[in-house]
Amino acid sequence: MVDFGRVQKELQECSRDMAASGIKVSPKSDNLARLVGTIPGPIGTPYEGGTFQIDISLPDGYPFEPPKMQFATKVWHPNISSQSGAICLDILKDQWSPALTLKTALLSVQALLSAPEPDDPQDAVVAQQYIREYQTFLGTARYWTESFAKASSLGVEEKVQKLVEMGFGEPHVRSALEAVGGDENLALEKLISS
Amino acid sequence: MGDYYSGDEERYYYDDDDDQDASDGLPDLETEVSLPSTKSPSSEVITKESLLIAQRGDLRRIMDVLSLKEHHARTLLIHYRWDVDKVIAVFVEKGKDKLYAAAGLTVLEHDNLSSELSSTVMCLICMEEVSASDVTTMDCGHHFCNPCWTEHFIVKINDGLSRRIRCMAHQCHAICDEAKIRSLVSARDPNLSEKFDRFLLESYIEDNKQVKWCPSVPHCGNAIRIKYDELCEVECTCGLQFCFSCLSEAHSPCSCLMWELWTKKCYDESETVNWMTVHTKPCPKCHKLVEKSGGCNLVCCICGQAFCWLCGGPTGREHTWTSISGHSCGQYKEDQEKKTERAKRDLLRYIHFHNSFKAHTDSFQREAELKETIQEKISILEDNQSTFKDFSWVTNGLCRLFRSRRVLSYSYPFAYYMFGDDLFKHEMTKKEKEIKQNLFEEQQQQLHANVEKLSLFIGEPFDKYPENKVEELRMKVINLSVMIDGICRKLYECIENDLLGSIQHAHHSIAPYMSMGVEKASELSICWENEA
Repeated sequence: MVDFGRVQKELQECSRDMAASGIKVSPKSDNLARLVGTIPGPIGTPYEGGTFQIDISLPDGYPFEPPKMQFATKVWHPNISSQSGAICLDILKDQWSPALTLKTALLSVQALLSAPEPDDPQDAVVAQQYIREYQTFLGTARYWTESFAKASSLGVEEKVQKLVEMGFGEPHVRSALEAVGGDENLALEKLISS
Repeated sequence: MGDYYSGDEERYYYDDDDDQDASDGLPDLETEVSLPSTKSPSSEVITKESLLIAQRGDLRRIMDVLSLKEHHARTLLIHYRWDVDKVIAVFVEKGKDKLYAAAGLTVLEHDNLSSELSSTVMCLICMEEVSASDVTTMDCGHHFCNPCWTEHFIVKINDGLSRRIRCMAHQCHAICDEAKIRSLVSARDPNLSEKFDRFLLESYIEDNKQVKWCPSVPHCGNAIRIKYDELCEVECTCGLQFCFSCLSEAHSPCSCLMWELWTKKCYDESETVNWMTVHTKPCPKCHKLVEKSGGCNLVCCICGQAFCWLCGGPTGREHTWTSISGHSCGQYKEDQEKKTERAKRDLLRYIHFHNSFKAHTDSFQREAELKETIQEKISILEDNQSTFKDFSWVTNGLCRLFRSRRVLSYSYPFAYYMFGDDLFKHEMTKKEKEIKQNLFEEQQQQLHANVEKLSLFIGEPFDKYPENKVEELRMKVINLSVMIDGICRKLYECIENDLLGSIQHAHHSIAPYMSMGVEKASELSICWENEA
């Protein structure tokens, strides 16, 4: 079984220094095995200004087995699949150590955004572009950040607005949306049932 | 020991062998080079029972040289794939620290560390305060609580990573102490602890290029350890003879690659298919394959359907030599003919070699049955109280027949690739190839003729012969055996030196000629002398 005691502590620790790290981890539902991580795009990269959501699911052996992480926000990056959001990162595979945490893993993912490794690509198309036409790559990555990593946050504001208009309190709406990973309908269900 | 003895040495030793002294084991000089103490075979069988002893021998050497504990020696040897000489070489060249670091080995005393720990310690994995007594510190100095360590070990063992369980700390490459793993895991799950031990033990086979599992099916449970060259053929105590290098049947004088290509080719009969696709066309009506043996391009299937040979499309019957009425195609004709010609030639070539190969393997099968009838003949003669007491000439002759028949069989696929276009097309000029092929085929023919002659002699009803005739046959068999042995050796010399030796752009080596046949691997603990 997942060591929920540790996950609980990790979440507390993470929210404590959220202001400093910018990294957020919150449960998708009551089940602590499914979480959503949020990382800001690193400054000075084509991902700057974007907010990226990462689906996290914890295997039974966590923390002795690595957490499974996948970008929920579409992102243009040589080591991240532009289709599925799968991440190619050693610490999420054989280099995982139980001493790492969700926060440190997300920090590594954030570092990966700053320093792509096109020689070990997850997405061959992106990697080719990165190597051969770097300017085009920058353009595409920026465009994707604009369209997906920012639109989603705009979208959230719209959803919040909509749900508030239905008569729910704004803090509740925000936490509900966050808990279900931004899905408006699921958030509504959650708000009604609570 | 890392240097392989060359085929030349091997031949040299066998030069004054003959069939009669079957007790002659491995030559002394070879063993002197590697192991000064006793005579030893070049291959040994490791059974489930002797695995521990086999492994301990190598562990002991490292423990003595580096004055290490057993589990530290094991960590080193697993990292260096059980190559004792390599470990020692790295130690001499780069020193202890580099040797240990590369293998993730930390040999330090942490006596002071326990005193550093207060009564309770924060475990960085479960993030709980735990009592210091419930904490284990590894040699690298990292300490975590026992339940976390245990969980970590269990996950790694179940992942099949028993041989290299690293410390839990991030980017710590230290390998955990197997004794600590064992004691923690066995407290939780004794079965898993046993599994862990077995994995460690089997590492000696899995991670060792000098040791391989016997490929027998169903598996006999044995592994074979060789001392010198990986390129050899061995016989396991279960009776299976195999090529140690590629684990398929013993196939010398074919190289492993040649044998792989050959079996694949025979398996999918790709030549036949190839020929059929080029040489025949399916009837557009009944889809039977039709071969065109001559005539114009209008072909008629037995079902009555006429069709155009060039494009395969159905046509009417009205036609002339150059055209079919109401039908036009006919491009690429020349090209088509060339392709047909080539496919036909390749197939005929393959069929020739395959037939020869098959004929000899079939003979081999039949001669294997001779074994029993010869035993019967011998017992008849023994019952008749003949003056002959020694029948080793028949049994030895039969063994020689088996061995030379094998060599002969496998020399055909060898020749197929040696003088064909698949592997060495650009290695020889046409002229060179012709000369070499003649040279080889002459020897092959000589071997062929003499092997058949021996087969005939061995099959003679000597139990019904008068004594003087038996004596005559005996001499003939002995002389012929010696001669065949010589021819085989020459054939190998020709292959190794003149043929494969001159290949520049590829590396092909063959298991050396063994006058006494595929070597039987001896039981690990049993002396070689008893075996012979």
